[in-house]
Amino acid sequence: MISLAGRDIAHSWGKFVFTGVGLGLLIGVTMTMAGVYRGMVDDAKVLLDNSGADLWVVQQGTLGPYAEASSIYDDEYRGILGMAGVDAAANVTYLTSQISQGDLDVRVMVAGIVTTVLGLPGQPRFLVKGRHITRGHYEAVADVKTGFNIGDEVKIRRNHYTVVGLTKRMVSSSGDPMLFIPLKDAQEAQFLKDNDAILNQRRRTAANPAFNNPAVPGLLDAVLASQSVNPFVNAVLVRVKAGFTPEQVAEPIRKWKRLQVYTRAQMESILIEKLIKTAAKQIAMFLVILAIVSAAIVAFIIYTLTIGKIREIAVLKLIGTKNRTIAAMIIQQSIGLGLIGFVIGKIAATFWAPVFPKYILLEPSDAATGFVLIMVICVLASLIAIRAALKVDPAEAIGG
Amino acid sequence: MARGIIIEDLHKQYGVGDTAVEALKGVNMQVGPGEVVGLVGPSGSGKSTLLKCLGAVIEPSNGRMILGGESIYNQKWNIKDLGALRRDSIGFVFQAPYLIPFLDVIDNVALILMLAGKSNDESRKRAMELLEALDVAHRAKAMPSQLSGGEQQRVAIARALVSRPPVILADEPTAPLDSERALAVMKILNEMAKQYETAIIVVTHDEKIIPTFKRIYHIRDGKTIEEAGEGREI
Amino acid sequence: MNVNKRTLGLLAVVVPMLLLFIYVGMTSGPLAPVPVTTAKVENKGVSPALFGIGIVEARYAYSIGPIAPGHLQAVYVDVGDRVKQGQLLAEMEPVDLDEKIVSQSMAIKRARDGITTAKAMLKEAEARLNFAQIQETRYRKLLEIKSIGDEVYEAKKQELQAAVSGKAIAKANVNSAKKELSRVQSDRKGLSNLRDNLRLIAPKDGVISARRFEAGSAVMSGQAVVEMIDPTSLWINARFDQQRSAGLAAGLHAKIQLRSQSQKRYAAKVQRVEIMADAVTEEILAKVAFNHLPSLMPPIGELAEVTVALPELPAKPVIPNAAIKQVDGEVGVWLVSDGEIAFASITVGENNLNGEVQILKGLQAGDEIVVYSKHALKQGSKIDVVEAIQP
Repeated sequence: MISLAGRDIAHSWGKFVFTGVGLGLLIGVTMTMAGVYRGMVDDAKVLLDNSGADLWVVQQGTLGPYAEASSIYDDEYRGILGMAGVDAAANVTYLTSQISQGDLDVRVMVAGIVTTVLGLPGQPRFLVKGRHITRGHYEAVADVKTGFNIGDEVKIRRNHYTVVGLTKRMVSSSGDPMLFIPLKDAQEAQFLKDNDAILNQRRRTAANPAFNNPAVPGLLDAVLASQSVNPFVNAVLVRVKAGFTPEQVAEPIRKWKRLQVYTRAQMESILIEKLIKTAAKQIAMFLVILAIVSAAIVAFIIYTLTIGKIREIAVLKLIGTKNRTIAAMIIQQSIGLGLIGFVIGKIAATFWAPVFPKYILLEPSDAATGFVLIMVICVLASLIAIRAALKVDPAEAIGG
Repeated sequence: MARGIIIEDLHKQYGVGDTAVEALKGVNMQVGPGEVVGLVGPSGSGKSTLLKCLGAVIEPSNGRMILGGESIYNQKWNIKDLGALRRDSIGFVFQAPYLIPFLDVIDNVALILMLAGKSNDESRKRAMELLEALDVAHRAKAMPSQLSGGEQQRVAIARALVSRPPVILADEPTAPLDSERALAVMKILNEMAKQYETAIIVVTHDEKIIPTFKRIYHIRDGKTIEEAGEGREI
Repeated sequence: MNVNKRTLGLLAVVVPMLLLFIYVGMTSGPLAPVPVTTAKVENKGVSPALFGIGIVEARYAYSIGPIAPGHLQAVYVDVGDRVKQGQLLAEMEPVDLDEKIVSQSMAIKRARDGITTAKAMLKEAEARLNFAQIQETRYRKLLEIKSIGDEVYEAKKQELQAAVSGKAIAKANVNSAKKELSRVQSDRKGLSNLRDNLRLIAPKDGVISARRFEAGSAVMSGQAVVEMIDPTSLWINARFDQQRSAGLAAGLHAKIQLRSQSQKRYAAKVQRVEIMADAVTEEILAKVAFNHLPSLMPPIGELAEVTVALPELPAKPVIPNAAIKQVDGEVGVWLVSDGEIAFASITVGENNLNGEVQILKGLQAGDEIVVYSKHALKQGSKIDVVEAIQP
């Protein structure tokens, strides 16, 4: 027995492939949408993975440091270092800022990290070019997504930083590339305002008689000096010693240091549930709509192809072709269309994903799920055409 | 007779109750192997209904049908799989060739045998035989759209014959043709009928070929009357 | 087999599509190898350097101001003026001090006059005494010859005693007048000193660095009217991260880069490392002095970067710091052998500012290690060694 479906496709392959490409692009878009969601989740995960931390110690009562602002004193880490089960603890600050360099104007998350010792949490995990920061000030490591190159001078607040290293896929939870600078510089950048604001503040302080008392010489200078010092950081990243569970180490810190501590699992759930929730819902709705549209298109195409063959189907029935053979022909065509669509869709999604501004993660499991869904949709969509084909009366081949 | 077709007192009623229409009111026909008979009648005479009953496409209301010595209908169908019956025992030739456009010529003919379960090679071999007999073997690999009208018609006839059915139903096979070609088709039909011992019933109102029939069945108001035809040589 | 044009056409479309599909699967999924660059470990000496930032300060800075509250009468110098030791820089308003001094001068004059008067009175008392003595002697003689009565003599004796007392009194007055003169002279000296203190003078040679008040301002005691520095004493007050300041000591050579002159590097030396470090910022403080002062004096408070060169260390295995990774809390590198990677723990030594790090334990010269990679590597990752990573 020959394959009727195969012969029919081969006979009008141009039409079929053309339709398959169209369907494939639609499927590609659907896969890309799913990839956007996965990319967002991955952005959050990668941020947590890249920090190299097992615990995040933040201000009590906040969901910080990513989902909410958090400020703790920069000497808290010393106490934390001394607690049981703590292998390493490092201060870290995060500041999202718009940075311009040459022609580029980029939105960047500036991370202040401890640079004096390699191997502490918070530092970039790997480099694609250049080196790690060796000087305690005015050097930076940038993610390639910023567009900066080795040797570029970047201005953050009032200091210039030389880019000495490049890294990849170091992003904030909203996909902004990261720029690592020494902690002290970052502390200054986070709380020190621009020159105009500082002058204004000095004026106001000097105008306040409580701070500017002639009977107490030196008071105003002391107050101004204290205003230009920033003893805060956003979080302390903690690495847990082998043999301890994160929760074991976190609980004493919560109890005795009156700080909030989140484990990796808790941070992940904060980021994914709170930050990404709305976007995830939106994407889910899109996926449903796209799936329905794809199903409708497949149904329409297969139905049209079938109706165009009504006469042939009548003849086939007349000469004794069984109903199930005809149904199989239609289903095979539908599945063939789905296959072409899937292949084209996967190829298209893979090639255009890097062009998108946000990170798109195409997972093989998603492709497999998509494949199964497409096949199911194709089979279901072909049912309408099959019903039409089975209703055909072979007597119609015999005219009037 | 072993091959051939016998129709006795065939009735067909459409609808029920007040709106019932009796299209066939007791048709009798008998066609032996190798015979080519005409079935002539005006439109509305029940011609198409009779053809559809003969073709096992619709179910008669009453009567008997004996095909190839086997009683296929006796007040109800005696055959379960009508599709298989049509496939193996009834050949169809239409006004238009109605070839499957996405199969090449040889597979168009061989398809019926393949549907019957024969191997592809065997089916194509038998198909080739018929194509040779009908002088279109050189077009075996062509697609139907590449053939002339006459060639397509011959392929259709080959398809009707390939499973050696005891009866072939031809529905206005010469209507679109001029007299030369029409007679050519009738000639082929007569030759094939004899060669393959097939009874052929030709439904027609084509004046060009009616004289070629030895016997003609007239159908009027749901009844048939047999008449001797001219039987002109082609 | 039906191999006709149709089938060929179909294959021409399907085959490239399938190949593309397979290509996509191999290069972008989890099956794809990670591009990395590698380097060989070399034995090298490194010259570590310490990096700190600081501000320009003057070693010797002076605040010049009054010791008593008052009004500023005049300021005679401005910022940037070079002054000599002893030069008058500003003056406070004397208020009534000058009048007081004049009054005190008058008091001195009066005291002198008082002495003269007292002396004159002493002379008068002496004369009276003389006369009283002569009279007493005469009348005593007269008494002896009974020419006068006792009471007459008693009266003259009594006059003599009065005259003696009178002289004593007059003498005492003279002393008192002398002491009064001393007193008002001291008072005058005191007022004079006070007056002197209203003159603000330069304690040493130097340059005026700030002028805080203008004439007419009310100034409290202790507030500086002008500030000056010794320009030959400029140095950088530098801060070094405690964790990266091993080996910082006085006498080391250094280079200073001023923020306003980013192209120039000034030769310098570490003058001293402070005993008191900054516990809050976790920095060690050091003073780094210019070997030769810049011709254009940098402003006090300008930011500067200081690089202190430490002596070169003996050769050891050296790797770029980009190769150092941390996996499961351990610091190490990915060793490459036969195209496979394996994590090797290392002990890190000193590094120079270019990122070359000495390895004390865990690597030898000739080992091949992963330097850059396009993604994070895990145990078992497949690698593809390339020249450079294309992002």
